[in-house]
Amino acid sequence: MSDDLKKRVKELIVRQLKLEMDPAAIADEAPLFGDADGGLGLDSIDALELVLGVEKEFGIKVQDEEVGVKAFASVNALCDFVREKAA
Amino acid sequence: MTSVEFQPLPHAFPFRLADGVVERTGPAEGRVRASVTSDAATVRAAGFPAVALVELVAQSALLLQGGDAALGRKGFLAGVSDFSLERVPVPGDVLTVAVKIAGRFGDTVKFEGVVTDGGGGAVARGAVTVKQGI
Repeated sequence: MSDDLKKRVKELIVRQLKLEMDPAAIADEAPLFGDADGGLGLDSIDALELVLGVEKEFGIKVQDEEVGVKAFASVNALCDFVREKAA
Repeated sequence: MTSVEFQPLPHAFPFRLADGVVERTGPAEGRVRASVTSDAATVRAAGFPAVALVELVAQSALLLQGGDAALGRKGFLAGVSDFSLERVPVPGDVLTVAVKIAGRFGDTVKFEGVVTDGGGGAVARGAVTVKQGI
């Protein structure tokens, strides 16, 4: 998977959610939502901000909540989603 | 631990700020009117609380989403971002709140709102996130 895309996605997450952390510190497979160890602990309001961020950054609409929950599972999942929609 | 039953505040007097929908320009977009009075003791003592403009934008958004101003609400204010105040409203102002959807994820919806006075002057603008369904 393209490291450039991962870097871009991580920077998008930090910028869109105004997180005070180094984008590189986000693990590729770490869950973005929930309280699991190593996860970011994001919530539904953060999910909406990510929807807006993905639309702005990549021009891709997240059609519904079911799709979004899968796409926002992790950085890798979001990269897969972006690559699939951009293909 | 003591269990406390949560009772949401109704969007009716004295908590109701939006008077009603003036114009609908889309499924959840349009303009809402709000009259500023000196009825409330807090307004008489210290002027209109600027933070109430955030709640006004949220109420306007939910009204345009189908909420009933008289009976209660269909959601609650869950977040606010990039909100700026140009001037504090005073009793006698008739405000117009223009609202449009910025994005939606499930029952979480973000709206952008612009509040203007009767002369079209800017009062406040910003985005609110509301959670629907309660």
